[in-house]
Amino acid sequence: MTTPLHDDICQLLREPIDLAMLVRHVRAPEDGAIVTFDGFVRNESHNRATLYLDYEAYESMALTKMREIAAQLHDKYKIHRVAIVHRLGRLEIGETSVFIAVSAPHRAAAFDACRFAIDTLKRTVPIWKKEYFEDGAVWADGELPPAPVATPHAKPAS
Amino acid sequence: MATVAQTIRLKVLFFGRLKEILGHAEESITSADAATIEQLFALYTARHPELAKFRPSLVASRNQEFAAWDTLLHSGDEVAFLPPVSGG
Repeated sequence: MTTPLHDDICQLLREPIDLAMLVRHVRAPEDGAIVTFDGFVRNESHNRATLYLDYEAYESMALTKMREIAAQLHDKYKIHRVAIVHRLGRLEIGETSVFIAVSAPHRAAAFDACRFAIDTLKRTVPIWKKEYFEDGAVWADGELPPAPVATPHAKPAS
Repeated sequence: MATVAQTIRLKVLFFGRLKEILGHAEESITSADAATIEQLFALYTARHPELAKFRPSLVASRNQEFAAWDTLLHSGDEVAFLPPVSGG
């Protein structure tokens, strides 16, 4: 899934993420820096040993939101290319669940954009993880995406 | 303001723990009592009272955009109820 304007990659995958391929994709001669974020499955959560995680998504909306994040990065930062890939399904300890790569002529923009991308993804992209433990499973505590409080027509006239 | 209740057809999606309560992820419904997202959710809490306690910690979307609970619904809309997101 490539956004036509910038040759970005935004994908949801059910198989392992190919980190090296994504780094190669964003790397170009006019760049001087790539910053990546590799989010992977930790072996514990709130001091309980995690067995594995299971991710699900509202796939069509999640892809739309990931593409919006990529577009925002181009608006806000002097960057070149973006790759944002999230994996779904069952993931074992140590496996990458989300990978973001941002290339730019200079490092500051790449760092800032990568940080903005993962923070925004975690707040706004409809993906959920269930954590499996020896003695049960729980849906991970998440963040409530910012949503409109009321439609404009319903606001009292001022 | 007299409004005639319109029968509309909706695709409704549930995720995370909501899906587990409902027992399935999506359904198509035809209703004259779902003029807004809030009213649509009320139809489901009537069927599954345990859903009600999740209402403060949900957001809704209409046609894949986050939407306010008073959003008016139209036939053909896709509405989803989304628990706090936990990707990453």
